[in-house]
Amino acid sequence: MTALVSFGIYLVFVFVLAAVANREGKGKSFLSEYFLGSRGIGVWAFAFTYAATSASGGSFMGFPSLIYTHGWVLAWWIAGYMVVPLVALGLLAKRINQVGRIAGAITVPELLRRRFASNAVGNVATVLVVFFLFFFLMAQFKAGAEIMATLLEDVPVYREAVVAVENLSDGLPWVGAADPDYLLCLLFFAVSVIIYTAYGGFRAVVWTDVMQGIVMGIGVIVMLVLTLIQVGGLERATRELAEMTPPEFVEVAVVAGAASGEEKRFPRGTWLKTQDGDIVRLKEAATIPARAIESEMIEALRLTSEGDEERVEASGEIEKGIHARPGDVVDSYAFGANEKGVYTRAPGPSRDNPGGFLTVLLAISFFAFWNFSGAGQPSYMVRQMAFRDTITLRRAMVMVALYFSLIYFPLVVIFTAARILLPGMEIHPDRVMPEMAAALTQNAGIPWLAGLLVAAPFAAVMSSVDSFLLLVSSGVVRDVYQQSINPRASERRMRMLSYAVTVAVGIFGMLAVLHPPQFLQHLIVFASAGLGACFLMPMVFALYWPRMSGRGAIAGMVVGGAIVLALYLAGFLLTGQFGEYLLGGLHPFIWATGLSAAAIVFVSLADRPPEEGLRRRFFGGPGNRAGGPKSL
Amino acid sequence: MADREEEELGASFRQSRRELWFMVTTWSVFAVWTVGYNATHAFGAGEGASIVWGLPRWVAFGVAIPWAIALALTIAFALFFMKDTDLGEVEEESKAKEANS
Repeated sequence: MTALVSFGIYLVFVFVLAAVANREGKGKSFLSEYFLGSRGIGVWAFAFTYAATSASGGSFMGFPSLIYTHGWVLAWWIAGYMVVPLVALGLLAKRINQVGRIAGAITVPELLRRRFASNAVGNVATVLVVFFLFFFLMAQFKAGAEIMATLLEDVPVYREAVVAVENLSDGLPWVGAADPDYLLCLLFFAVSVIIYTAYGGFRAVVWTDVMQGIVMGIGVIVMLVLTLIQVGGLERATRELAEMTPPEFVEVAVVAGAASGEEKRFPRGTWLKTQDGDIVRLKEAATIPARAIESEMIEALRLTSEGDEERVEASGEIEKGIHARPGDVVDSYAFGANEKGVYTRAPGPSRDNPGGFLTVLLAISFFAFWNFSGAGQPSYMVRQMAFRDTITLRRAMVMVALYFSLIYFPLVVIFTAARILLPGMEIHPDRVMPEMAAALTQNAGIPWLAGLLVAAPFAAVMSSVDSFLLLVSSGVVRDVYQQSINPRASERRMRMLSYAVTVAVGIFGMLAVLHPPQFLQHLIVFASAGLGACFLMPMVFALYWPRMSGRGAIAGMVVGGAIVLALYLAGFLLTGQFGEYLLGGLHPFIWATGLSAAAIVFVSLADRPPEEGLRRRFFGGPGNRAGGPKSL
Repeated sequence: MADREEEELGASFRQSRRELWFMVTTWSVFAVWTVGYNATHAFGAGEGASIVWGLPRWVAFGVAIPWAIALALTIAFALFFMKDTDLGEVEEESKAKEANS
């Protein structure tokens, strides 16, 4: 309950910031203020909004889940982040800000539209932004709802609310089939974000990002200290990890000592012993019907490491008076089963891939992916259009570099050690972050701190959702409505439309994610790869290659997006699961980016050269720009 | 012809282009270090057992040290080498600012 209170205080702060941001924006050009903060973002705000948008639900939910599942190899997987501030900010920031000002652009599609004086370029960019960002929104909404569910699961008022939601939604098409816990949390999370984003606009998003960035930073540092204390130091944790072997997934029936007149339920996560002395954890809830002595067969996780078994025994969490009867093995690890040391070396254990989690080619892909896909995200590009001057950029680069170093490497330390403190989380790996926060603070006797620690991933999710919401609504309002439908719309009309579209996009996103896919990180990587592949090369060439034509830009965006979609579709058709097909062992982003660049060069050179005026305007010195056309 | 085109390019554009090449080179150096070192040291049964500063040895030399150097390089580049540029103003927004003040 105390965690809930500190979490509530945090939410109140977010709303206050949105209200202040709304007042601050009064009297300024509405669209420029609402979608770009009037290009006046200072050092702290720019650094934190950039970093907080980067650190999304993936960083605090999906990434910890991967570290927990695959071990130290994730340090290599994420290593590209060591140069992300230098590359992602250095590659585009200065030029995109300058070209954005020359073009008078507020959104990324608008910048491309004006750079090439082509409505077709802007329209293609808008469609691609909206399409891929929607997957991002889905992933973040899911992450937000999952965190809330973990935080609130033992609160009595919440349990009553869940029952009420279950009754209300029962029988409703699409909504009624959703898990009521998840539905309630999703509703609360989505409504909170939609309100403060719609009301406060970009400035509110940036200010809340600053607060959320600070919360995330403090959260990670506190978790790191508590973790290292509770595992007895990093060296000890690494040595214990080196002795661990991956668990097995087996079928079990839950067996009671004697039949009872009442039905008995055992929730997911219950620890049981088998008659052979093995320790298992239920992956789903089990029910022993009235007058029966055992449940149906359900899936469970079986520990295979001696150290894990001893720790679970010592915790006293094993259910007494009942036991598990093991059936068939459902699944054991395709790589790393029964192998000690698999969590402390490459390629890391994998349930699906016989070659392990991270091959060398995949490691190369990810080193490129984090840097160049990051640089290609419209959510970052729009922030790079918003900073005040280059002094702001330089100082922000230093802050972002320090911040990423304080977040990403410590997360690997924390969640490799989580295998020691929280065995058996493979039953629901996406929940390892909030569970770890709860366990660390509980063990340390400071449960109220869990609210702050859980607020860290929640903040990460919120700071990403708000950015994506604004990006999608700016695409609709500025790039579709104002550019193509009603160029003379009054400021009042644009204001009302901006509020309405932000709310509508949020509600639509929420409805779409009522039945989410299982693995958050896959969805996030797909959306990042798609956006990066569509926009990185077209934007880099647009900013640095005067000879590039509008048709070249369209070819680059379409080829990039199509390759990512095709390789994910191939992955789905080959495995039956949502995931990428690694053609030649490389991530789809690499193929898509390379072919996008080739398409840009080939089509631009085959096309007639752009107008001299456009070249002077966007690439000439200040004296040359005046002679250029105003473009669209 | 190519020289004339080059001369017409603004000084800030040419500076940004030089900085772009620095970024790409830096990325390549750290990619080769991290992937090269780990590809030869992170695999194999004994690798996880050898520990430096509490980390598996390959993590210390293939991730932690390059990360620390990349951090120092980023700070040095941003503070001492990256050039300031006048980014300009957007006419419509400047007018709104003036009217507001």
